[in-house]
Amino acid sequence: MNRKPRFSLPLKKRRTTLTLPADSLTEAQRIARTRRVNLSTVIAEALSEGLRLQTVGERSEEVLESYKKAFSGFSDEEMSILDGVLLESVNRR
Amino acid sequence: MVPPSSGPFLFDTSAESWLGRAEHPSISAWMREYLSHDEIHISAVTVMERVRGYSLLWRRAEKSRQERIEGARVAYLTKLGRVWPVDGAVAVVAGEIMALLPDPPTPPRQSHQLRESRQERLARWRFDAMIAATALVARVPLIHNNAGDFESIRTAIERSPERFPNLGPLDLIRCASLA
Repeated sequence: MNRKPRFSLPLKKRRTTLTLPADSLTEAQRIARTRRVNLSTVIAEALSEGLRLQTVGERSEEVLESYKKAFSGFSDEEMSILDGVLLESVNRR
Repeated sequence: MVPPSSGPFLFDTSAESWLGRAEHPSISAWMREYLSHDEIHISAVTVMERVRGYSLLWRRAEKSRQERIEGARVAYLTKLGRVWPVDGAVAVVAGEIMALLPDPPTPPRQSHQLRESRQERLARWRFDAMIAATALVARVPLIHNNAGDFESIRTAIERSPERFPNLGPLDLIRCASLA
């Protein structure tokens, strides 16, 4: 049977030193106080969300870039064929 | 304007390429925003039409151009989003649509010295029915660039709801109305 583990494993963490913009740090400290969590939690969540958005943005650009490659350099008639519309010469019929 | 966050949407074959090629900033922005929320959803029928198209162009092309066409095909297939299969449910709904509308509602395409054969037109019409059926089964709006065909299907479904229990209406969005 496929059972979900009862408890999720704690995320691996590493200590580091960062230099952050003072305004951002002040805002993060305010949020931490409001939510009654430590500053590391707020910074980690913000970083995680920022990285997620970055990944989504990169994926969007990759998809758009692949569409450009897939559909550029074709004439209107060729694009019709790629869209499933097959035209043939009237003289051939 | 259709909010990109209100997806996911199923993209019809010509809508997918129209949006993929669009250079208007508002359309590009719409696509970027959409892709930040959802994948591009297409029917397996779209993949089939597209791959047939690449293959036909490749066969007709000079050797020097074949590599470019193959590169385009690979670029398309490498970043496919969600591909909906033509499964049992889609087949049932598509069959109902085809029975309601056995003949294409619009004539074969033509331009200058070129014309779509009746056989090709009928095949394309049936593929459109499968794509519409996929949108109905997936319960997602269909983004299209072919009002003549899909509006006919939508109207037919509305007139015979008993043949589409617990499904519909077919929700259609024209490409041009996106942004």
